[in-house]
Amino acid sequence: MKGPLSGVRVLDFGLLTAGANTSAMLGDLGAEVLKIESGAYLDPFRVVGKMDDDDGWWNRSPQFRFTNRNKRGLALNLKSPDGQRVIRELAAHCDVVVENFRRGVLDRAGLGYEAMKAVNPRIVFAAISSQGDTGPERMNVSFGSTLDATSGIASLTGYRGEQPRISGMDVNYPDQIVSLFATGIVITAVMEARRSGKGAFLDFSQREVASFTLGEEILAASANPSHTLAPRDNGAQQDAYRCKDGRWMAVTHDEPGLAAWCANQNRDDAVAALLARGIAAAPCNDGSDLLSNQDLAGVTLVRDEHGGLVKGLPYRLDGKGITIERAAPDLGQHTDEVLRELLGYGDAELARLKISGVTSTTPTVGDV
Amino acid sequence: MPTDLPLARFTIVEVTDSGVPLCLRLATSLAAKIAADLGADVLKIEPPGGDAVRTLPPLLPAGASALFQFLNTSKRSLVLDLGTERGRAHLVKLLDRADACLFEEPAAIAALARAGKATPIEIAAFPVEMNAAARPVSELAIQALGGLMHMIGEPERKPLKLGGHQASYAAGLTAFTGLTAALAGRDAGQAAPKVRVSLTEVMQWVNWKAASGAAATGVSPGREGRRSEFQIVPCRDGHVAVVYTVTQWPATRALIGDPRLENPKFATRAGRRTHIAELYDIITPWFADKTRAEIQKTAQAKGVPFGPIFTPAELLKAEQYVARGFLAEMTAPDIGKVLIPQLPVQWNGRSFAPRPAPSLGSKELGRKELAA
Repeated sequence: MKGPLSGVRVLDFGLLTAGANTSAMLGDLGAEVLKIESGAYLDPFRVVGKMDDDDGWWNRSPQFRFTNRNKRGLALNLKSPDGQRVIRELAAHCDVVVENFRRGVLDRAGLGYEAMKAVNPRIVFAAISSQGDTGPERMNVSFGSTLDATSGIASLTGYRGEQPRISGMDVNYPDQIVSLFATGIVITAVMEARRSGKGAFLDFSQREVASFTLGEEILAASANPSHTLAPRDNGAQQDAYRCKDGRWMAVTHDEPGLAAWCANQNRDDAVAALLARGIAAAPCNDGSDLLSNQDLAGVTLVRDEHGGLVKGLPYRLDGKGITIERAAPDLGQHTDEVLRELLGYGDAELARLKISGVTSTTPTVGDV
Repeated sequence: MPTDLPLARFTIVEVTDSGVPLCLRLATSLAAKIAADLGADVLKIEPPGGDAVRTLPPLLPAGASALFQFLNTSKRSLVLDLGTERGRAHLVKLLDRADACLFEEPAAIAALARAGKATPIEIAAFPVEMNAAARPVSELAIQALGGLMHMIGEPERKPLKLGGHQASYAAGLTAFTGLTAALAGRDAGQAAPKVRVSLTEVMQWVNWKAASGAAATGVSPGREGRRSEFQIVPCRDGHVAVVYTVTQWPATRALIGDPRLENPKFATRAGRRTHIAELYDIITPWFADKTRAEIQKTAQAKGVPFGPIFTPAELLKAEQYVARGFLAEMTAPDIGKVLIPQLPVQWNGRSFAPRPAPSLGSKELGRKELAA
């Protein structure tokens, strides 16, 4: 694929959104992405999105397929010395590693930054974790909205005078924004590695990324101990209103009687009338609205070769979005192909790895 | 300017044109600020009256805007009246020497910036397909349009926005990544891609589970409030977000330690969701007499990811942030001494300490820049 990152190869240990999507965004810019899983440890999105119990269920999760398009997939056992050796050999042919395991997992497998740097000094190693790679809370577990709470975002979210709110499991907001930042830093480090021949260890804390979005509030609080947050709600002089047809809209405007006026209009009429008056107004869309309005979707949604809906781009380059050249990989779909191509493995070696369980195309986990 | 920073060899122009919607301005400024903290020479072109964000809340005790300070660290300010021929000619000259130019779609100089030698990074409100460059816009409207508000709050009550400037800032992070892609293209001797970021597309992209869920099941996910498995409960000194994965439920049940949770109806996710009010009646009292710190400690010891809710003021003292040096001290005459979040990355253990935002550019700086 052409693009500013063509020629860059990514070894992708990314799971769920934060890691897997950082690699996906690098791929969107032309990098070649090799996603590494293991029969003993699938990307949890394969499991979270389980649709049925039939054979191959692990290849059908919509969430997995949404995020991992345009990648090739390998399954290599990270716990076996042979699997670890193969991964180090692959790292010698890669420019970037992306991982969001719990701290210490890759180090224990002999696949941490120091080990990768020893085989490839140019490697840019992006470690994405909930609290960062250092500090007393580095081993803390978190899941999605844990970070809405601990980052401060929840303290600014909610109904007026009521308790704080989180974005919840169908949004998990802090997980979504990390890749938007991490991708740019990885690109910066790749430029630096191209210039200097030296790679970098990039330590991202998802909690810090979320708190960074409240920078002005943290700054204000530091300057003035009595600084108070604005009351939780939809903001000053703006709010959401229910219309006659029962649908909601948001309006950035305050005028006596506005709520009653909205209640007497159908939503689309009310939005149009307010826009005509120069007032910012918009329908509170749901997922079905987003699906059905292609002008609104812009380049954010694309179809893969099977007609499945997958993730597009958050921006457009030279006016364009992306095309899907390959659907998300089945587990271990490209293991043999990539090991032949990059490492020159032959039939005998590939058969040996398969028999010894280093490579696989089926999960070794039990019922999930 | 430290020259060992990774973007030190790049010059970037940020055009602050008058009359642009503020939610777009914040996105542009955030993207340019990240590049500036990483060492790029960012020239912020301001109109004679200055960027309108200079007066926006929250305000510091001395009157300066904390919002402006946060979004404009490490930049230089240059005043140009882009309403005049002379001002626009100066801008073109600057663009000849710069690597990239960040600006907003509704700006009067947009056509000029798109045609310059610097790679254009354009921030817009809406997708091109909506053909709506002049449509009124706000942070709230973007969160509504992109479907985020539909996801937050109680199902029978009004939808809520997520706190802060999330539509602007998510777009700002995206524009920063687009900017680095353009710089990498130039660096590799390619024609760099022109980048366009719309707040509406970024919001939908971030909220992808709404569209994905609707496509997979035919029904859109939406705000669940009190019907959600994850809720906020009060504790002795504040609130805690109850969060756990399916595999963490047994540990969560053991942590709360109430025998009623052994009832088979709570054994599966579907069962817990059906009986969610009863489940919360059982677990809520466990939190009441404990502090957030106690709850976090005992929960983490069992591998349960409950989230104590902190305010921005409390984060100033968060042990993890202090240990990692996430908040840097910054001092300037007009702001005094403040703590500011640094870029959320450590690069070989190094942080990127921001330099204070510039005061409104002087004519001297202008002459020097334009003489080059």
